[in-house]
Amino acid sequence: MWPSLPLGAGRGWLPWLAPTLTLLAGLCLWEGGYRFFSVAAVALSALGCAGVRALCVRLAQAENARQLLDERLLTTQKLAALGELAAGISHEINNPLAIIRQEAEWLRELLSGARFQDPAQLLEFRESLQEIILAVERAREVTGKVLELARERQPVIQKLDLNRLLEDMARLVEHEARRKNIRMERRFAPDLPPVESDGPLLRQAVLNLLTNAYQAMEDGGTITLTSSWAGPDHVKIAIRDTGVGIPPEMLDKIFLPFFTTKPPGTGTGLGLAITQTIIHRLGGTISVASQPKHGTTFTIVLPLSWEPQEQKG
Amino acid sequence: MEKFKVLVVDDEDDFRETIVKRLRGRHLDTTGVASGEEALKAMEQESFDVVVLDVRMPGMDGIEALKEMKKRWPLTEVIMLTGHASVESGIQGMQLGAFDYVMKPVPLDELLDKMRQAYERKRIQEGKF
Ligand SMILES: Nc1ncnc2c1ncn2[C@@H]1O[C@H](COP(=O)(O)OP(=O)(O)OP(=O)(O)O)[C@@H](O)[C@H]1O
Ligand SMILES: [Mg+2]
Repeated sequence: MWPSLPLGAGRGWLPWLAPTLTLLAGLCLWEGGYRFFSVAAVALSALGCAGVRALCVRLAQAENARQLLDERLLTTQKLAALGELAAGISHEINNPLAIIRQEAEWLRELLSGARFQDPAQLLEFRESLQEIILAVERAREVTGKVLELARERQPVIQKLDLNRLLEDMARLVEHEARRKNIRMERRFAPDLPPVESDGPLLRQAVLNLLTNAYQAMEDGGTITLTSSWAGPDHVKIAIRDTGVGIPPEMLDKIFLPFFTTKPPGTGTGLGLAITQTIIHRLGGTISVASQPKHGTTFTIVLPLSWEPQEQKG
Repeated sequence: MEKFKVLVVDDEDDFRETIVKRLRGRHLDTTGVASGEEALKAMEQESFDVVVLDVRMPGMDGIEALKEMKKRWPLTEVIMLTGHASVESGIQGMQLGAFDYVMKPVPLDELLDKMRQAYERKRIQEGKF
């Protein structure tokens, strides 16, 4: 309903603008646009040139913002629908998976009492069963993640010691990281107040990012885990690695569910999607900066005090 | 707020007995069992506020037990304990609704702190329902 205004044009069109709009207002009277256009027309005639220009710019900005929001809303809705579908399928698949696993384990038990003429055959039998069990576990991991993504878990808000939480998760990853020659560096602001947030959800988010960080480093490197103030009523968590980095054209895809560059069996592409959902639910934001071949930094900003949000994706 | 019921699940007898004794020393109503199966049985008999659950146990492992617990008693908070850090199972545990995932050995005061937080969370959620 906005008339698109030729912002780039010279001053020549300005004197015509007010009468044109008044005319338009008349035309739109029957369409219900009366209010807007008459107000705009009066405002425009009252304002000077500079004012008009500023107003036009504002209008254009508002229009752009609206379009962007529309697109985001569409993406959010699409993702929500997809998520629901995927969760439904996951749920259905989980039951047969549980049965396959149970039966495989039962077979394994039966096998312990079985005799084979050829002992090599027994071994093969065992290995084959083990493969089945592993594959089922893998499948359940995927369905578990999909269900997690779709689950509408309302945050339970408590006062958290953020540094403590980060330290706990760092320790968990440190063990595994050390084997790959990766160092964990902590830079925790000592004066952070308690943060009102959901501990289990936040732990999950941080753990996902730490996992990505150490998976991005093949041959040693450093993960730097930072906590700091971000303005008077926010805190910031940064997780930096010295890994492979992310090509710029890929940056806007990494948060999408199922986007992964990892070989099948290692990544499902759900880690960041889950993490982003969590952080938004906690009223925070998450962003990424990366330099291919040098490393990547994920940054989370969280409010110190939490307030219930409107329905958000 | 201080008084709550704790179930400690660990197949390592020494570890379990020590921690049960020490928690009782802090006036917590504490029960110890040696397996996931026993834990579920104990939970059918009486209700617990906080479960401290070892990840690696013979028979039903910690992750399986956690899954079952959260399904049947969603409000009971579960703190996972692990001797061998495994990021994969950590992520899995958190996704399945564990309250926390902690590396052994953990100082008693730290564990107590987490248990208090877990209990607080349970109370908040009970208030919601
Ligand atoms: N720290 C990082 N360094 C380099 N690339 C990254 C980093 N974090 C994420 N990525 C890229 O983003 C993709 C998506 O990450 P995400 O965590 O969502 O899924 P995943 O790690 O592939 O699988 P999952 O987390 O489900 O195991 C990764 O496959 C990888 O290409
Ligand atoms: Mg990941």
